[in-house]
Amino acid sequence: MTKIELETGGSVWKLLVAKGDAVKEGQTLFILEVMKMEVPYEAPRSGTVTALHIAEGDSVAEDDIALEIG
Amino acid sequence: MTWKSEVDEIKQRRSLALGQGGPEAVAKQHSQKRLTIRERVDQLLDRGSFEELGPVAGTPVYNEAGELVSYDPANFILGFGKVNGRRVIVGGEDFTMRGGSPSAAGLRKSVYAEDLAVQYKVPLIRLHEGSGGSVGGTSGKGTNLPGPVNAPSRFRSVAQAMATVPVATAAMGAVAGLPAGRLVASHFSVMSKSTAQIITAGPAVVERAMGEKKTKDELGGWKVHTKNGTVDNGADDESACIEEIKRFLSYMPDNVNQLAAVIDCEDPVDRCDESLLAVVPRDRRVAFEMRKVIHAVFDEGSFFEMGKGYGRSQITGVARLNGQTVGVWGNDCKFLAGSMTADGAHKARRFMELCETFSFPIVTLVDEPGFMIGGQAEREATIRHGTSAVLTAAMTTVPWAAVMVRRSFGVAQAAHYGPEAYVLAWPSAESGPLPVEGGVAVAFRREIEAAPDPDAKRRELEEMLAAKQSPFPRAEALSVHDLIDPRETRPELCKWLARVQPLLPDLLGPSAFAIRP
Repeated sequence: MTKIELETGGSVWKLLVAKGDAVKEGQTLFILEVMKMEVPYEAPRSGTVTALHIAEGDSVAEDDIALEIG
Repeated sequence: MTWKSEVDEIKQRRSLALGQGGPEAVAKQHSQKRLTIRERVDQLLDRGSFEELGPVAGTPVYNEAGELVSYDPANFILGFGKVNGRRVIVGGEDFTMRGGSPSAAGLRKSVYAEDLAVQYKVPLIRLHEGSGGSVGGTSGKGTNLPGPVNAPSRFRSVAQAMATVPVATAAMGAVAGLPAGRLVASHFSVMSKSTAQIITAGPAVVERAMGEKKTKDELGGWKVHTKNGTVDNGADDESACIEEIKRFLSYMPDNVNQLAAVIDCEDPVDRCDESLLAVVPRDRRVAFEMRKVIHAVFDEGSFFEMGKGYGRSQITGVARLNGQTVGVWGNDCKFLAGSMTADGAHKARRFMELCETFSFPIVTLVDEPGFMIGGQAEREATIRHGTSAVLTAAMTTVPWAAVMVRRSFGVAQAAHYGPEAYVLAWPSAESGPLPVEGGVAVAFRREIEAAPDPDAKRRELEEMLAAKQSPFPRAEALSVHDLIDPRETRPELCKWLARVQPLLPDLLGPSAFAIRP
């Protein structure tokens, strides 16, 4: 299981996957907005989204776990 | 009549000194997954290269018959040694005795480390685990006169060492008080995530004075100190710390009178990395990975990042171009848009001072939107720290090359361009007094409000002004040396480095300003 941890705080601008989705390595999972910049997060490996802890519009903090890939 | 009895006693003293704090103390150190200082020194140095200084400094214990029965060695180990064939000074507290709190002889040896490094002009490596003085004093017994008023300032040699030779330090266990101060008085510091804490004062003192109940890790574990800049890097364990120190040293000259060694480079100087053509997204709001740019431009695998965990909008470190050490400084737009924060400015200043001290040419990859703004930034005195970075850049004498990768705005951008910098612009470069997104809404407020569709008007103005920030007019005006295909960045920088290389010997010797912690 791989936990996707947030490198910075910000707000969740776009969520591009849902729980149960199959994802491929390098696929964009979600995009944070941080200081007017869009910061995409990519899947570090292929797998399935087993847990989702964020929703669009959420304010998030550094080190929060956004989702988990099983 | 020979001197045999004295010679025998010398041998006995040496052998007793190697026993450190005794078998029980050594076993305790091992049971807590930590090495002793002698094991650390062995791990750092080339096999058999340790030449110890003051091995028999310490306190002998005699029986009533006046025979030597035991020996309390100084609890600081010091000597010469070699790291990958290069001579260094190495020192560190012996935690198996008095918890590393200095004994009289231990203190004397510890403060001698910097003097030696300055005298012999070789790198200084300190492996710390110990605390400062205790209210009981350092000798523990007998008359212990305080130092005379004309004693040399203890910290002068610490400062001189930083202005003369590379200083690399590691926190291997709990480091407090004086050793903590000396840990950070270095060009590169690393802490072991599994065994080290760095604390100005320990939990007991903190609870008594402040009423705060905190563990050593809560006060000063790696999660605290790799994010606040107390240390540059964190490493998993003691061995990893030693590897980081060796790697850092590989980029450094022996002292400020020498240039760093140029190593053979197998990475072609004319290599053009295809990925650079698309690395910066056309949509100006979309972030990208500056570290990918760094890896694509410098000699393969040569980037050694320092201070990744703090001041994260700025990326600093050393790398090689055609085998030669250069300082590398980029912005990370994924963190606070890459803006100059107070801690980022502090990190950048230390980076520039490191390069100036050791005559490293500086290469910047610029994507600077300006000083960080907002309540927190004001509380952190961002403008003071930021201006300190800007003026440090202005005072450097080393050659600079600046690659305008994307944004270059405000006063803060000036920190990324040293005097007479060689400036190359990518087509994605934008520059001006401030980014249009922030500026337009304020400067054209009335015009935007009066428009039938204010949003559309704002976007129209933004696009119009963004076009003016394009690098083409700058190139026409010779405001940049050249506009380049991003893929040509490595070849262009290698050519620049070959041009400035002959200037470097003139820069050797003490710098006008030295690095400060």
